[in-house]
Amino acid sequence: MQVKVVIGTIAFMLTMIILGYAALREPERLEHFTAAREGRMVETGAKLYFDNCATCHGVDGTAQECYDSLGNPIDCQGLPLNNYFLVCGDTPARLEQTLFEGTKEQFIERTVSAGRSGTAMIPWSERYGGPMRDDQVKNVAAFVLNFANEELCAAEPISFNWPDSVDDFFVMETEDFVAAAGDPENGAAVYTSFACNSCHGNVDEAGSNQIGPWLGDIEEVGATRVEGETAVQYVYNSILHPNDHIAPDCATGPCIGPPSAMVQDLAFRMSNYPQYMVDLLAYLIGE
Amino acid sequence: MATFFEQVSEMGVKQAVITKADEVVERLTAGMNISDIRSALRGDEPRRPNPRLRPHADSFWFHIRPSFYHTEVTHIYPTFRLGWLSTFMFVWETITGIILMVFYTPSPLVAYDNMWNILGNVPLGQLMRNMHRLGAEVMVLVVALHMLRTFITGSYKKPRQFTWATGVILLTFTALLSFSGYLLPWDQLAYWALTVFLSGAEAAPAPPELNANVLLILQGAPSLGAGGLLRWYLFHVLLLPLLTAIFFFVHYYKVVLYGISLPPGREEIGEDTAKRVPKDERTYFTPDILTSELLWTALITLFLTAGSLWFWDAPLEHHADPIVTPLHVVAPWYLAWSQGWLKLADKTIVIGFIPLLIVMFVVMPYVEVGKSRRYADRRVGLTVACLFFTAMLVSNWMGSPEFRVQSSPELEVAQEVMPQEGANVLLGVPYEYLQTGIYLPGEEISDNPYLTRALEEFEAAMQNHSCVLNGNPDMPREGIWDDCRELEGGRFGNDFGDNAMPDPFAALRITQEQANMVRLTLMFEVLDPNNPGEYLVQSGDSIYAFRHEGSFYEEECRFLNKDC
Repeated sequence: MQVKVVIGTIAFMLTMIILGYAALREPERLEHFTAAREGRMVETGAKLYFDNCATCHGVDGTAQECYDSLGNPIDCQGLPLNNYFLVCGDTPARLEQTLFEGTKEQFIERTVSAGRSGTAMIPWSERYGGPMRDDQVKNVAAFVLNFANEELCAAEPISFNWPDSVDDFFVMETEDFVAAAGDPENGAAVYTSFACNSCHGNVDEAGSNQIGPWLGDIEEVGATRVEGETAVQYVYNSILHPNDHIAPDCATGPCIGPPSAMVQDLAFRMSNYPQYMVDLLAYLIGE
Repeated sequence: MATFFEQVSEMGVKQAVITKADEVVERLTAGMNISDIRSALRGDEPRRPNPRLRPHADSFWFHIRPSFYHTEVTHIYPTFRLGWLSTFMFVWETITGIILMVFYTPSPLVAYDNMWNILGNVPLGQLMRNMHRLGAEVMVLVVALHMLRTFITGSYKKPRQFTWATGVILLTFTALLSFSGYLLPWDQLAYWALTVFLSGAEAAPAPPELNANVLLILQGAPSLGAGGLLRWYLFHVLLLPLLTAIFFFVHYYKVVLYGISLPPGREEIGEDTAKRVPKDERTYFTPDILTSELLWTALITLFLTAGSLWFWDAPLEHHADPIVTPLHVVAPWYLAWSQGWLKLADKTIVIGFIPLLIVMFVVMPYVEVGKSRRYADRRVGLTVACLFFTAMLVSNWMGSPEFRVQSSPELEVAQEVMPQEGANVLLGVPYEYLQTGIYLPGEEISDNPYLTRALEEFEAAMQNHSCVLNGNPDMPREGIWDDCRELEGGRFGNDFGDNAMPDPFAALRITQEQANMVRLTLMFEVLDPNNPGEYLVQSGDSIYAFRHEGSFYEEECRFLNKDC
C-alpha cells in the first residue's frame, strides 16, 4: 500500500507541475492563437474574395485586372480595395467621403453586407438577401484590411503633380509624361473603366444618371458653374478636387456636400495614367 | 456537551481547538476522527469497533460503496479497474465540460467564434478543451473495454443480467454523449459528421412520416441550423448526462448488491460467492480500495493532462458551411464501423440493424444461460466474441476512405498533402520557408528542410496515384513509379490500386498573394494516352490553399493525431 501512496503522490505532483508549466507558457500560447485566428480569417476571406469579389475588384485588389468566370479579361467595375485611401490609417479618406462614422472594419463589413445602392455592389450578407453569412463577411473584411502593409501605407500616394491650370496640364512635358492630343474614344473607355458611368450615367442619354449630375451637357453648363472657370477647367478641377464646388442638380435632387458624394481618390488613381485625363476631358468636353 | 467557550476555559485554547477539529472531522466523515484517518493512511490495524466501517453505514458518498471486497477481485485481474475508470471519466468529463460551458453559447452565430475565444483568449482554455475531447475518446474506449472484459469473464451471467443490461445502455449513452458533443464547435467536422448521422436516422426502417418527424425533432428545423445546434447542446449537457447518471446509479447499486464476480476459476460452477466472503479473504474499502482508486485517479489524471498538453490536440476545422462538403467525411472512430457497413449494404438495413444489435446485447444474458463462467466451458461464446470483435475492427477500417471511396487521383494526392480541412504537411511548413516559385514533387531545396520534407510527402502521395506508361520528359519517373496497368473504361492502375494517373506532370506553385500571405497551388496535368491532345486531368489553378504568416499550422503539426 505504501508503494501505491508514493506512486499516487508522485503522479499528483507531476500533474500539478505540468499544470504550472502550462500556465507559465500560456500568455505566449494565447498570443499565437490570437494571431492564428486572424491569419485564418484572412485565408478564408481570400478564398471568398477570389470566388466572389475579384471579378469586379481585380485579382490583386487594385481593380485593374479582372476576369469573368471563363477567364476572359473584362473591365473592372469595382473600386480598388488594395488602396491607401481605404485601408491605411485609422480613418481612411473613403470613410470621410462617404460620411461614415466608425472604424474601417465596420465600414468594410457594412459595405460588403449591405452593398452600395446605385452601383454594381450588391448586398452580400444573407441578412440583406445576399449569399454570405456574418462570419464570411467578417473574413472578407479581414482579407481586404490585410492589404494594408508598411509599403502601401508608408506615405499618401500622389505621384503625379497635377498643375492647377488645365491649360498648363495640356502642354505639360516632364520626364515621365508628355501630354498628347486627347483621344475621345479612349476617353469613353476611361469613363467606363473608372466607373464614372455608374453614377453619372450614359452621356448620350439624358436622365440615365443614377447619383451624380448628368454630364451630357457639361460642355455648356460647366462654364457657368464657377466664375472665371472654363468648362474644361471646371471638369478638371471637379475630378481632382471634388469637394471644392458642389454641382446644383444630382439624379435625385440637389447634390449634397461638401464633402461631395463623388469618388475622392481619382487624383491618385489617375496619376499613373495622366493621359487618361486628357482623353477623358476630350470625351466630355470635346477638346 | 460543553460549548466551545466552556471547553476553552476548561482545557485551554490549544486543546479546545484540537478537540473541536476532531469533532468536525468526525462529523464530516460520518465516523472517523483525525487519528482514525491517520492510522488508516499509515496502514495500521483499526481499533475495535472498526471506525472505518461507519462511513459506509452513515455517510452519503460511502454508502454506495461496499465496506469490503473479496481479495480475489482487488487485483488487476479480473476487473482491470475499468469500472472505476469509467466512473472517473464521467466525473472528469462533467468537470471539464462545466468549465467549457462557461465560455460557450449554442448559437451558429457565435459558437465557432467561442471556440477560437477558448483557444486564444481563455487562460488554459485549449488545455481544458483538449482534456474534455481526449477524455471523451478515452471514456468510450474504457467503457467498451469494461464491457469486453465483463463478457470474457462471464460476469454478465445470473444474477448480474440486469447489471449487464444497464451497462449496455450506459455504453450507448457514452457513445451518444461523445457524439453529441461533436456538433458543438460548429465547424466543418462537426456539421458534416452530424449530417451523415442524421441522414442515417432519416433512412431508418420505419414509416416515412415517422422518420420525417424524428428527423425534425433531431435537427429542430427542416435543415440543420440554429434549432439543431441548440437541441444537440441540450442533449449533450442535460438530457444525456441525466439519463447516464440515472443508469449509472442503478448499475452501481446492482454492483454493490451482487458484489463483483470472482475470477471464473475461483468458485464452483453455478455458485456465486461474491457476497459470502470469509473474514480472512476480505479487503476493506478503507484504506486499501480507497488508496488503490486514488492511485488510479492520480495516474489517469496525469495521463490525460500530459496527453492533452503534448501529444494530442482537439481538432478545429473551418466554420460549418452547408454548401461546401469536404472530401472524405468520416465518422468518429467509435462509429466508423457503421460507415463501413453503409458502404456494403442498403442504408435502411444497416440503420435498422444497429438498434437490433443493442437489443441483442441487452437480452444476451437472459438467452445465454449456460451455468459455467469458466473459459473452457464457453468456447463457442468466446469464439463468437472474438469474431465479433475482429469484425468490428475490420468494419472500422472499412469506414475509412481507403475502402471503396476514391475520387479522382489528383484530388486524392491533394487530399494527402493539402486537404481542405486541418493542418497538413504543406501548410505546416513555417511561413518564412515558403519561398515563391514552382517546385516538383521530391525536389530537394537547399537550406529548406521543411519544404524539402513536404515535397517528399508530395512525391510519396504521387507514387501512390501515378504510373509510368510511355514516360514523361517533364517528369521522368521510370523505375521509380510502378508501370501502368490498363483498366477498362480508359482508367489506369498501379501496384497500389486502380486509381492512377499515367505519366502525370505535377508541381507545387507558391505565389505571393498579399505582403504576409502566400497561395499554394497544386498543379496536375495528365495527357489522355487514348486521345492525343486531350487532357485526362488538367487542374489549372483549382486546387489551392492560402497560408498567412500568423496562421500557426506548424504548431498543430507537433501532435500525434494531426496528419502532417
